[in-house]
Amino acid sequence: MGLKHALLPSLLLAAAVPSLVVAQDLLKPNPKDWLTYSGQYHAQRHSALKQITAANVGRLQAKWVYHMTGQKDLEAVPIIANGVMYVSQYNRIDALDARSGNIIWQYQRQPIATGAQRGTGFWNNKLYVTTSDKHLLALDARNGSVLWDVAVHDGLQLAGQAPLIAKGKLIVSGNQPHGFIQAYDADTGQYLWSWTPVPGADDPKALASWGGQKPDGMPIWVSGSFDPDLNLIYYGTGQPEPQWAGEGRPGDNLYSDCIVALDVDTGKLKWAYQNTPHDTHDYDSLEMPVLVNGNWKGKPRKMLLQANRNGFYYVLDRTNGEFLQATQFVKKVDWLKGWDGGKPIPDPAHDPSVKGTTTCPSTAGATNWPSPTYDPALHMFYFVAQEGCGINLRDTARNYAGTGYLESPEEGKTWQLFTRALDAFTGKKVWDYEQVTSHHYGPGLMSTAGGVLFSPEEFGQFTALDSKTGKVLWHFNTGDVITASPVSYSVDGKQYVAVISSSNVFSFGLPDGGAK
Amino acid sequence: MRLAVAIAVLALTVTAADAQRRAAPDTGPRNPFADNQAAIDEGRGLFNTTCTGCHGANGAAGEFGPGLAIPGRSYARTTDSQIFDAIKNGITGTPMPAHAGKLNDDQVWKVAAYVKGLRGTAIDAPSPGDVAAGEAVFRGKGQCGSCHMVKGQGSIVGPDLTNLASLRKTNSIIDALTKEQHRVYGPGGAQPHLLTPLSVWPVVRVTTADGKTMRGVLRNEDSFSLQVMGLDQQLHLYDRSKVKVVYEPKGLMPSDYDKKLSKDEFNNLLAYLTRLGTLPQPASAAVKMPGGPERD
Repeated sequence: MGLKHALLPSLLLAAAVPSLVVAQDLLKPNPKDWLTYSGQYHAQRHSALKQITAANVGRLQAKWVYHMTGQKDLEAVPIIANGVMYVSQYNRIDALDARSGNIIWQYQRQPIATGAQRGTGFWNNKLYVTTSDKHLLALDARNGSVLWDVAVHDGLQLAGQAPLIAKGKLIVSGNQPHGFIQAYDADTGQYLWSWTPVPGADDPKALASWGGQKPDGMPIWVSGSFDPDLNLIYYGTGQPEPQWAGEGRPGDNLYSDCIVALDVDTGKLKWAYQNTPHDTHDYDSLEMPVLVNGNWKGKPRKMLLQANRNGFYYVLDRTNGEFLQATQFVKKVDWLKGWDGGKPIPDPAHDPSVKGTTTCPSTAGATNWPSPTYDPALHMFYFVAQEGCGINLRDTARNYAGTGYLESPEEGKTWQLFTRALDAFTGKKVWDYEQVTSHHYGPGLMSTAGGVLFSPEEFGQFTALDSKTGKVLWHFNTGDVITASPVSYSVDGKQYVAVISSSNVFSFGLPDGGAK
Repeated sequence: MRLAVAIAVLALTVTAADAQRRAAPDTGPRNPFADNQAAIDEGRGLFNTTCTGCHGANGAAGEFGPGLAIPGRSYARTTDSQIFDAIKNGITGTPMPAHAGKLNDDQVWKVAAYVKGLRGTAIDAPSPGDVAAGEAVFRGKGQCGSCHMVKGQGSIVGPDLTNLASLRKTNSIIDALTKEQHRVYGPGGAQPHLLTPLSVWPVVRVTTADGKTMRGVLRNEDSFSLQVMGLDQQLHLYDRSKVKVVYEPKGLMPSDYDKKLSKDEFNNLLAYLTRLGTLPQPASAAVKMPGGPERD
């Protein structure tokens, strides 16, 4: 069928479907939609849909595939609102009929760009585009028309993370010249506030943690979570610069490798917890902070859970950043000498060296940005664990040596990815699923109320596991690398599970005739 | 309807731009350091302190950028001045940043000279020696044909070498003949598109339910299946859940050719191997085949 003929009915359909989403919907989204990068503000990535169950997922079948022309290695999480799916890249959004995969409209600002752009945001009938030329746009979700177009404040380039829309604010972040978070009015594009992990003169204690060197680095390239009751947004920050040479910056180097809580109205820092003080291994803390309420040792707590790149699974009190627990989740961790209360003590013997220093976990991390998921019924935390060490090199012993280092797998040894289930509150491992042939980062996960954990694999298998046991229930070879996280949505009473594999969006459902 | 027209126009624009880029004559200046080995070495030093975060040490492919030393030939920037421009001013629409302000023009030229030198494969400068004698070593004393095929002659267990010199650098071929562990630069980026077994050729022993064991080379695998080229030169397809798999720690490729061959035999073999393949066409950004996507 020709493109023209395919488009016409889709356009009519779009006009007939109301697609107005207001702030209230983001607070309590209908499970049929997937409105934010992590599904909901608490970033649990758990779909309440349960038509697809552990009992029937074995019959799951591909319903459609949409090829995103000119793209590869897409990392975007699609947004689905009222039966329409939005897939983003820098400078671009494609709007699809979420039942058929037929394109409804495409917005493409020149030039065509590729890169690790991880999703858009949806609010009040608007979608947001990060451009490659340092602009931020809002599109009309009905037809892709540009509603506003603003230059990013201070002329900065935004990173590829999906924007977080909280309390009518569009929250974005970036890496250069150093890490930053900015907020804009999501309706008008008006700039509101900025925060940076680089401490200023008004924060002498943090400034002193750099031993006199000018604080630098700390990129922020993954979206965060939001607690509307506490009025706080939670983000991770990246590694200090120079990345591999720590001797010029003696001290903890705040606020590098931290989980930070910011007031959503002002951008002021409420608290920070530093996972990796004085980092020389690129253990940034950009893994998604997941917000969970529950009983912690018999007492109700508002918790923040994070599986960190440095090999520890953290439980914090998210009201004040209090350290509750850290549990080692990979076999070997040797970058630290021990703990001083809730603060790890790095081991300088594992600093990068000219001849190479073996360190565990590797610089790629014991886990990385691919999203974890939390099942509120089972109290299980699922994430992608990467077992393996690396060799950290520096090309010169010169102090303040630049960027002459690389992430380096050991000769003859490959890293190995596992889908790993932890008891969310004790941090104890419940089960493991080995992703054969997956060695690097891997895609993110999604749990569902149907008891199915969707776990895509690096080289294209889209696998469904039993949430309780990790047993394989179903799999499908999408034929290309998967680096994105899956989502679930429902249209006309039918549940779909979708994931992007390189340049193709796949959507799966049960055979027609409904769930049996 | 308007959208369809808009897409068609866009496609035409892109095609025209591609054609223009391919046809663009090299009007920019030549690299002033093109044949200056000291400057190229300096460029290597600058590269390894400036570019490795994305492109990897010595261009071996890093976390975020393409490996510049890989044998792929789809270079977007072909001329000296284009490479200079990419380094100095960055590449719009990609994460490649501008280095103006960080490197002066002389330094950019030196890095550009080093980067250009990373390109190409063995066939661009074949090794000297007696090619016919080298082929005799390949078929005879070296026993290369017991695993490898060249132009339809040999075994199908190992990699086909018909086009070897168009795919590998000379150093990489020497490493393969002499080192147990030899690295081949892949396409790079954070997500390699080649499955590991396809480039590593690991050896497995697979035992089936009836107790029979098959030894062979793993061509691919995933969590659910295995594809094995048996030493019997038959393809075996297995369900992982129905077999027992042992991964052998060592590959089949001998790595002592520098010892078991005389120096002349080794050099002649290298002369033969570095001529296997076809000299590529002049570098171009892309090849557009007729009967393309202009449907509807």
